[in-house]
Amino acid sequence: MSLRVLNPNAEVLNKSAALHMNINAAKGLHDVLKSNLGPKGTIKMLVGGAGDIKLTKDGNTLLKEMQIQNPTAIMIARTAVAQDDTSGDGTTSTVIFIGELMRQAERYIDEGMHPRVLVDGFEIAKRATLQFLETFKTRVVMGDEPDHEFLKMVARTALRTKLYEALADQLTEIVVNAVLCIRKPEEPIDLFMVEIMHMRHKFDVDTRLVEGLVLDHGSRHPDMKRRAENCYILTCNVSLEYEKSEINAGFFYSNAEQREAMVAAERRQVDERVCAGNENNFVVINQKGIDPPSLDVLARAGIIALRRAKRRNMERLVLACGGEAVNSVDDLTPDCLGWAGLVNEHILGEEKYTFVENVKNPFSCTILIKGPNDHTIAQIKDAVRDGLRSVKNTIEDEALILGAGAFEIAARRHLVNEVKKTVQGRAQLGVEAFADALLVIPKTLAENSGLDTQDAIIALKGEHDNGNIVGLNLQTGEPIDPHMVGIYDNYSVKRQIINSGPVIASQLLLVDEVIRAGRNMRKPS
Amino acid sequence: MWEVVTIQVGGFANFIGSHFWNFQDDLLGLAEDSHADPVYRNQSLNMDVLYRAGETQQGASTYTPRLLSIDFQGSLGSLSSRGSLYNSAPSSDPLHISTWTGDVSRQVSEPHKKNLFLQSLYEEELEKSTSSVNGTHKFKDEELVECLQSGVQFWTDFSKVHYHPQSLYEVSGLYVDPEDFNNYGIGKGVFSSGLHGEEITERLRFFVEECDCIQGIQFIVDDSGGFTGVASDFLENIADEYSNTPVLLYTARSPGSYTRPVSRNNSILRSLHDAISFSKFSSYCNLIVPIGLPSISKSKATTTLNINDENLFHCSGVYAAALHSTTLPLRFEPPGPAVESQYVTGALDFNRFVTTLAGQGRQNILATLDVAMPAPPLTGNLDQHSFLESMYSLTPELNEDAEDFQAVESMTVHGALHAGGNRASILEVKDSISSAYESTSTRPLFSHLSAALCPLPIPLPFPSMFRNRVSQSGLLLDKPISWSQSKSSLDVHSIPMAARLRSSNAVLPYIEKRLGNLRKLGIQRGSPGTSLLRSWGLEKEEVEDMGEVLSKMVQALNPRLEESSDSD
Repeated sequence: MSLRVLNPNAEVLNKSAALHMNINAAKGLHDVLKSNLGPKGTIKMLVGGAGDIKLTKDGNTLLKEMQIQNPTAIMIARTAVAQDDTSGDGTTSTVIFIGELMRQAERYIDEGMHPRVLVDGFEIAKRATLQFLETFKTRVVMGDEPDHEFLKMVARTALRTKLYEALADQLTEIVVNAVLCIRKPEEPIDLFMVEIMHMRHKFDVDTRLVEGLVLDHGSRHPDMKRRAENCYILTCNVSLEYEKSEINAGFFYSNAEQREAMVAAERRQVDERVCAGNENNFVVINQKGIDPPSLDVLARAGIIALRRAKRRNMERLVLACGGEAVNSVDDLTPDCLGWAGLVNEHILGEEKYTFVENVKNPFSCTILIKGPNDHTIAQIKDAVRDGLRSVKNTIEDEALILGAGAFEIAARRHLVNEVKKTVQGRAQLGVEAFADALLVIPKTLAENSGLDTQDAIIALKGEHDNGNIVGLNLQTGEPIDPHMVGIYDNYSVKRQIINSGPVIASQLLLVDEVIRAGRNMRKPS
Repeated sequence: MWEVVTIQVGGFANFIGSHFWNFQDDLLGLAEDSHADPVYRNQSLNMDVLYRAGETQQGASTYTPRLLSIDFQGSLGSLSSRGSLYNSAPSSDPLHISTWTGDVSRQVSEPHKKNLFLQSLYEEELEKSTSSVNGTHKFKDEELVECLQSGVQFWTDFSKVHYHPQSLYEVSGLYVDPEDFNNYGIGKGVFSSGLHGEEITERLRFFVEECDCIQGIQFIVDDSGGFTGVASDFLENIADEYSNTPVLLYTARSPGSYTRPVSRNNSILRSLHDAISFSKFSSYCNLIVPIGLPSISKSKATTTLNINDENLFHCSGVYAAALHSTTLPLRFEPPGPAVESQYVTGALDFNRFVTTLAGQGRQNILATLDVAMPAPPLTGNLDQHSFLESMYSLTPELNEDAEDFQAVESMTVHGALHAGGNRASILEVKDSISSAYESTSTRPLFSHLSAALCPLPIPLPFPSMFRNRVSQSGLLLDKPISWSQSKSSLDVHSIPMAARLRSSNAVLPYIEKRLGNLRKLGIQRGSPGTSLLRSWGLEKEEVEDMGEVLSKMVQALNPRLEESSDSD
């Protein structure tokens, strides 16, 4: 209490009050997010102060939109968001797992048990569960030709938690093909090489995979072609603007005409060298600006030009079309040029889109999301991100985990039947609490589907005792074999949840005092 | 051609910006209004420099600021972050969710009520669209002015501008109280976390891609809180991506941030915040103008303006007016081949503007902003050099008495009046300003004068803060007409303005203070701020480099110091 002396405005909560504050905050967050979980969860509609509507079923998005203020809840939210950043999914699961660990802990603490003992049990149980995860996982051999079926199953499982079935199934194909397109042997998968572009246009089912690139801008000259076939693509990072406005004025070129003349000369050279009179077209895609006089020169030469391309598109273009990005006109050689079968511009109001399609051997592609309104687009975008991550994780993990709660039931059984015996003393209770907390996943799935939680869990436990690895059929409440219906989760996501959940729960349980320096101190009094 | 992109980051910056765009909106409206003073119809101002023309999906054409505004989630009050122009009539019921067949739960946060002013704007629009002629106005202008005077909570409360859907970005998922988001370190990681940086740079690219030839970026940042961390990462990104585009940065400090620190730690935190923010900014932009006095009502401004320091709505109005005036020459229509324009003179482009002030001799990138609001009459019984003396600084922490024979200035005077209330011609302005310069004792080495005929129009949602010696056209009367409350936009329709940016050694205390704090608290052995700086991701070497850069700035401005400090 010496803090009171130092700062009379500080609020101090004693041990038990602090602990219960933490437990309540964790349970509160758990209650908000639990209805999100699974393919039968509830979508949340958030109506903001200005009356604008956000729709989300993504735990990550929800946590960011909620403007959480409680310090404990913030700590949990940060962990869950970090979970999403590293493995791409599992935000909701992390939050409800932490919430359930705290709820289980509360039971024992109210009976007089010291949190320290529980935490020791959590630690033992966590290590054992991670070991069990290794034996439980389903190996998926990737090699040169990854198993499409497995990839589709995991992507479908992820997508169906965000979108209605028919749309999820349609996107499954798109997502798997997108990742396989950008995959290079012996290299980590860079999901940024899948561009996600959206158009407020048509319907959700018009979402498609474009092998090639869709850029969100078009040419800025009235005389440039809107459509061209058999195009050579020049990707460059060269300023084609009148230099007067720029800082090192007059250093290389004394006026704009000189500069254009140089560019035009370069173009002619390349034209002669490359196309020698055939019907090929040229497209220049520049990361820097191109001013109207330069656009004029290019348009007159029959060249389509786009300016201010995204930095990342420079990389993507090269991967999609071939060639290489040049930083100066002096470096220009025919080898720098990429190729695309079709370049086509599409205009929606003030928005322009340029499709660079029909490319050879692309290592970059675009998922073009369509929908009649922003909500639909945002929903699909969330889902696509999850889907892409799940496929990437699978390829990198070379493993999957049976879903629909099968793992949690099996892990609980393992902890109770095998691990608990090996533990001395009261830490056993910590192991048991952990084991029971794992059941929150199948329980919540059952609850969200409107099933009787008790019946469902008992049925599952029974099957597992008979040696059948089963999960929950959310339609009927009966046990099913997740493999038969293709429900798989990511190994790395599960691993991360089991790793981080108990760490946070333990920190919250071991808190002695909560000291909050009075906020009012900041204000002038 | 010659587009300028405006960026506003943080609360106070957006308050200033909101006034700024209100001025522009008024100029646009007056230019089309056949009943308005003819001076507005021939402004010779190219509004396309600041605005963009667009089109909604329904084909309606739009004209919106080329602006990117960044602020907290929830700081937009009753305005939707998508603006109001591009919202298509909901084709389907928003409650019908096409992507999900399962359950829906609604969480409705308490709606922000539109204030009287916003309601009246809304109804005006409705009338326009239903083209009912001369609908009776439900709201009296006096009521609207009154409701704003004390009731402004968000910067959107007094904004009459339509924004593009890409313009307003809300930073979500910060998990801190706006009050605690008060230092560089806390905002440091925000730009790179999640998708914030990605989304922000994408939006900037959207506006830049449209520009045929961007002349520069004007950037206003709220200098007192965590948004400096966001802004410095953003500026670094801009310097990298648009390397040839000059950036003019206004670091704005709200009066609220000058409260006394509550503890030693708090004071260390603030000192280092100031030092680090400034040295980060200085490496990524071409000219920095600090604005925001601790108490503007205690400055010379008080002779003409009655300002409530506590009220952001009030004080941001003064800064916005000054910003408007200084950047006006960037928009002057280029003069015809032979004839001098009778409306404007002294057009500048962004690059020349910035290099004039920062690029010469000492390469001092820190400039001060002085203003006379309203500007005094050009001629008359007052003696001449009082025109220059009537200007007061809006930049804090200055040595106002500094004598500097190498000072460089860029001055803008617009809408100047004669003592009798007639508008002075461009030529007269030029003559009297140059003679005013000649009669002063401390003449700058170089000064550029821009002048325009068009005064600053006072929009309806401008705070009531003119003293009663200010007349309807902004003329300063010797004797007040009557005793009354502060005059509002209903009594004062326009004012003449004079503003100047000045590069001089008056900024020495500003830099020295930051350098001193950085050395004392961050660099010296065993200094108390080392661990704090490390928690901000700054290692010792980096901090030392920053100190080095700052001390070079000081030396450039104060050569005498160089000799004496050689010993250490």
